[in-house]
Amino acid sequence: MESIIELKNVCYKYPNGPKALDNVSLKINAGEKIALVGPNGAGKSTLLLMFNGMLKPDSGEILFNGEKVTYNKEALRELRRRVGFVFQNPDMQAIAPTVFQDVAFGPVNLGMSRDEVRSIVLDALNDTGLDGFERRPIHQLSGGEKKRVAMAGILAMDPDVLVFDEPTSALDPAGSEDIMELLDEMQINGKTIIISTHDVELAYPWADRVLLIKGGNLILEGKPGDVFYNKNLVKSCKLSMPVLLELYEGLAEKGMPSIETLPKSALDFITYLCENCGLQKMKENTPISGDIYLADAEHVSPEIVKDLLESGRIAAVGAMGTKAKAFAGNENISLEFTYGVIDKCVLKAINKKNTLILSSGGMFDRVRTRVETFNQEYDQSIRIIENF
Amino acid sequence: MYYEFMENIAQNNRLSDIHPGIKLVFGLGCILIAISSQSLIVPLLIIAITMFATLVLAKIDLKFYLMLLTVPLGFAIISVLVIIFLRNSGDVLLSIPVFDWFNIIVSTGSLNEGLLIFARVFAGMCSLFFIALTTPVTELFTIAAKCRIPHEFIDLAMLIYRFIFVLIEQAVQIHSSQVMRLGYGSTKEAINSYGMMAGSLFINTWVAGEDLMKAMDCRCYDGKFALNDDDLKFSPKLMIYVIIILAVLIIIAIYTYGFTLFGV
Repeated sequence: MESIIELKNVCYKYPNGPKALDNVSLKINAGEKIALVGPNGAGKSTLLLMFNGMLKPDSGEILFNGEKVTYNKEALRELRRRVGFVFQNPDMQAIAPTVFQDVAFGPVNLGMSRDEVRSIVLDALNDTGLDGFERRPIHQLSGGEKKRVAMAGILAMDPDVLVFDEPTSALDPAGSEDIMELLDEMQINGKTIIISTHDVELAYPWADRVLLIKGGNLILEGKPGDVFYNKNLVKSCKLSMPVLLELYEGLAEKGMPSIETLPKSALDFITYLCENCGLQKMKENTPISGDIYLADAEHVSPEIVKDLLESGRIAAVGAMGTKAKAFAGNENISLEFTYGVIDKCVLKAINKKNTLILSSGGMFDRVRTRVETFNQEYDQSIRIIENF
Repeated sequence: MYYEFMENIAQNNRLSDIHPGIKLVFGLGCILIAISSQSLIVPLLIIAITMFATLVLAKIDLKFYLMLLTVPLGFAIISVLVIIFLRNSGDVLLSIPVFDWFNIIVSTGSLNEGLLIFARVFAGMCSLFFIALTTPVTELFTIAAKCRIPHEFIDLAMLIYRFIFVLIEQAVQIHSSQVMRLGYGSTKEAINSYGMMAGSLFINTWVAGEDLMKAMDCRCYDGKFALNDDDLKFSPKLMIYVIIILAVLIIIAIYTYGFTLFGV
């Protein structure tokens, strides 16, 4: 894979402060989801600020798309357009009085025409689920809404890489899940996402790769399972092990056989238990499982969905993506699942219940791949029904 | 925490969807006619019309509106009383002897003048509150830009607007954390705590300013500020109504020129 950002032996020291980054080298590939974890004061924010040139390393170099980052005004502007940065505190990011003006701030400064700015801003607000917020003053919004405005403001500049400092801090659990799904959506649309976080439960199933940083050193990078399953390391970095891994470890100590890929979701864990714990085995499950209905929230007519729901065949409805959630909201459809939707629907299917997933175009492939892999792995025949 | 800012009401009332230009023409027109009127009939009409617009059309809470009015009207009543007792022209209506050589006199002339001034002030306040309660500041930026006010001033005004609320929020937070730790127990302590709050607010403002620079850099600041896209519909029909109302008021003002309650 092509690396989009590369750091070579980067060192940085704040004036009159301790060393914040000590000889950090790393590569970030295009289209990856990266979680940067570590204790407070480990240098996470410092490292993130390196990515868009807000801080200049004392030594070492940073490459963006294979080219060395230069620190003159023009080059920095271009870099900052392509690497969007969302601050931890959305109040700090909001500049203009109203939502529209704030989101339009970047595009206007990039010299776009009035009509372009208008359509870009409306798109960005639509993508972040903020339709109709244009004229609202920012100080009247809730924490989660402010965070979304900050994201929309960055999305409006159409960056290749999005850097988030603690995207879920100070949000309620539902709000955090919404934001994490929004990040997923952005990644499906081709962006590279880098987040820093303390929340291992959210980072573990979400990230493609985890960077563990402590005392300004990058001490481990790898698959989330590999990083978080390292108990001593996790403890020394003042993090905690994800609950799923803790359960898995406990069962392994009890003598359960270990498996190649560590469980990432409740579904993984349940199948692991079924295979190894004397429960009814997946493979012996009667092959008639439930169906997953898949509807494109952008194109499907509400009547068809309502007919399906009224027919009583559907046990639960899940929505993936902002547009699907907006659709459900408009049509008064109550959603059972809003996060980790595919796995939860597969779980229902195993239990012979039908589910409906509302989604939008780009995410269909993800549903198909996940269900097909699952079918193959456990000899299941969960069907995806797209035309109903 | 929720504070009842006039700005919040201006953002959420039934007239907030009407083009700010129309509301401004109406409000400013009423103020100008009221203060240049030479009889108290037109100001009284304006009071009735603007109150109707604010309370019935915009559905502003009556209690809140009256509370707002008491402050300026309190000042106005005191000033007008002074005028009524000090000015002296026309027939004497009331004479209160204080000393042998000094009487407080109320005359027809002073009463006429006092009532006229009071009516003008009252009408002006009602018109001003109509603008303040129905037109959000955020809409005024767009209008200001249309009036060719230099964009440096508007940008500055927008930043100030945004940070007024950040500052208020911080001040409230610091104040409540001081109250929770009994910071305002005695007068001496209160003065001390208040000073501390001012000090930390100053430091916080400084930091916020630096953060703002960073945030603007991160988003490719190039000296430009976006304005709200002008998507509120300008209704010519409504504008014509407003102009008709103003014209009628002017005509009445001309016909009632010099009308007084007590004759001179």
